Amino acid sequence: MTTSDALADGPSDQAARAAAEAVLPQTLVGAGVLLTGLALAFGAISISSVAGYGGVGPNFLPWLVSIMLTVCGGWIIWEARSGGFRELDAPTGAVRAYWPGFVWVSAGLLLNAALLTTIGFILSCTLCYLLAVQGLRRASGQPSSGAARTWVMDIVTGLLISAPVFWMFTQFLAINLPGLTSTGWF
Amino acid sequence: MDIFNALMMGFAAAITPANLLWCLVGCALGTAVGVLPGIGPAVAVAMLLPITAKVDVTASMIFFSGIYYGAMYGGSTTSILLNTPGETASMVTAMEGNKMAKSGRAGAALATAAIGSFVAGTIATVIVTLFAPFVAEFAVKLGPPEYFLLMLLAFTTVSAVLGKSTLRGMTALFIGLAAGCVGLDQISGQGRYTGGIPEFLDGIEIVLVAVGLFAVAEVLYAVLYEGRVVEEQNRLSRVHMTARDWKRSIPAWLRGTAIGTPFGCIPAGGTEIPTFLSYAMEKKLAKDPKDRAEFGSTGAIEGVAGPEAANNATVTAALIPLLTLGIPTSNTTAILLGAFQNYGIQPGPQLFTTSAALVWALIASLYIGNVMLLVLNLPMVGFWVKLLKIPKPQLYAGILIFATVGAYGMRQSAFDLFLLYGIGVLGVLMRRFDFPTAPVVVGMILGPLAEAQLRNAMSIGEGSAVVFFQRPMSITLIVIIASVLVLPRLARYWGPRKVEA
Repeated sequence: MTTSDALADGPSDQAARAAAEAVLPQTLVGAGVLLTGLALAFGAISISSVAGYGGVGPNFLPWLVSIMLTVCGGWIIWEARSGGFRELDAPTGAVRAYWPGFVWVSAGLLLNAALLTTIGFILSCTLCYLLAVQGLRRASGQPSSGAARTWVMDIVTGLLISAPVFWMFTQFLAINLPGLTSTGWF
Repeated sequence: MDIFNALMMGFAAAITPANLLWCLVGCALGTAVGVLPGIGPAVAVAMLLPITAKVDVTASMIFFSGIYYGAMYGGSTTSILLNTPGETASMVTAMEGNKMAKSGRAGAALATAAIGSFVAGTIATVIVTLFAPFVAEFAVKLGPPEYFLLMLLAFTTVSAVLGKSTLRGMTALFIGLAAGCVGLDQISGQGRYTGGIPEFLDGIEIVLVAVGLFAVAEVLYAVLYEGRVVEEQNRLSRVHMTARDWKRSIPAWLRGTAIGTPFGCIPAGGTEIPTFLSYAMEKKLAKDPKDRAEFGSTGAIEGVAGPEAANNATVTAALIPLLTLGIPTSNTTAILLGAFQNYGIQPGPQLFTTSAALVWALIASLYIGNVMLLVLNLPMVGFWVKLLKIPKPQLYAGILIFATVGAYGMRQSAFDLFLLYGIGVLGVLMRRFDFPTAPVVVGMILGPLAEAQLRNAMSIGEGSAVVFFQRPMSITLIVIIASVLVLPRLARYWGPRKVEA
């Protein structure tokens, strides 16, 4: 579709197109809920039904939850395919997602999870900060996000936040966070 | 007199230098998280829950409470100056407060919000002081059937009544209940949904869910959809109220408190309803045509004073069901319940006898904290406004470092960090498709407790559900649950017909 087509469309056409575009993602959300319900039901099969004196065993709540989630999932799919979610607030922010930024932040979080116990809290969290801030800078359209000076600044800022947080929690509050050395300072 | 003596003992415990410092740090941190976008009181308390391993229970509860109500004060600053509420309770403040700021009256709006919060917070604390012990005495008489029904009421209101869509609220509640099922069944000791993963035997930490849904999801959502959003900040004028502003604000503060306090006391959750009710009432009561014209145009001071008082009164009064019944009515009180549980303390009617010193020190700290917050938020408002200058990329990336501390610090497991990411992605989906998050947290934390009460009640009834209909209190609760489910639907059904007629 060209821009002129879009401009030629009235508000009702645009709303109809937005509703049509929402059918697939909303159906997928419903399918996700439905599958979660079915997976929980599969798990509930192996939970003991020994109910004891009260007649309600440890498998009661799992079955209730799995049945209800399956019903909710089916209902959500029905709503999605019959006019879309009811009483839905328009989501805030942009219509289209900025996926490169998501990849940067996700990489930061997942690398942090993978490396925390190996390279220690300070370095791992600095890496997480660096990747996340780079993704967020790119998302906000900052032209200097890839410049060497910005990278250095972000590394220093990450260290300046991570190190005092590490010291505060390990030295003052005696919370066990992994360090690169066993000194408790790095 | 007993209450007075107990309160004085509470003050004696709360005004030790160490506890005063914890209170001050909590209030300051609470104000900061209220002001800053992307982080609210629930996630701040959740991220700091690991301190329960080291810090004494009284000090940490005073600290967490300071964060809890400090955020209510701070939230109004962001609403008024940026029109982006720092937390949901300030949504209504944003409506009139931002308009006042745009017409050069930001100072008066900030003053009425802070003083109104102080007035409402203090009155509600007096109510907590006077009524909580009586509620606790009454609650001792409640048995498992009544407790189960109270929790069912909390589930019903938080999922089916408060949100816009019952379907999405119910889905969120059952996701929370499913998360609460993971781990060892507390009565039989049998593992459920552990999938052979040792970490799951201990269940899913509430910290993970709160930090994942609120902090990580917020950062992921910001990078996906809100990178290009530019916020315009209003100019801060002198924080001052004229005699006419006082005259208009005082009745609004009192009305807001009267509306907010009962909403906090019942397990109905959320500050949205009392703040909107207070706003609607102020708008309706504005008689002077000049004052009336200010609503929605240049901003009416009553529209800030009433809802701000209502939100603080609700938040403070919500401590009554938490402390006396062990029932959280909001995200933050659910996390506070988690903090108590970390110390092996289960809030409920026995708390006033088994942990009287802790409870009264906590209540005394509410009085002290309110005074501290008034000082922090009136003369020092310029300092908090500077926090709004922190660029969003650095702020959000910094939040992830604190999220790591909260998630890893609880049980030193890197597995939890992967889980945290997964919960964050779930949070993004929930926000994008307008699923409420409060039912997830309340369902997760109350689910296992409700299940235990249900099974105990059924054991008492020897397997018969008649046990739920045998006592007046349980029948009353069933009627209330049925009413909150049916009445709004009937009103919706009959409302349009009446208009058509």
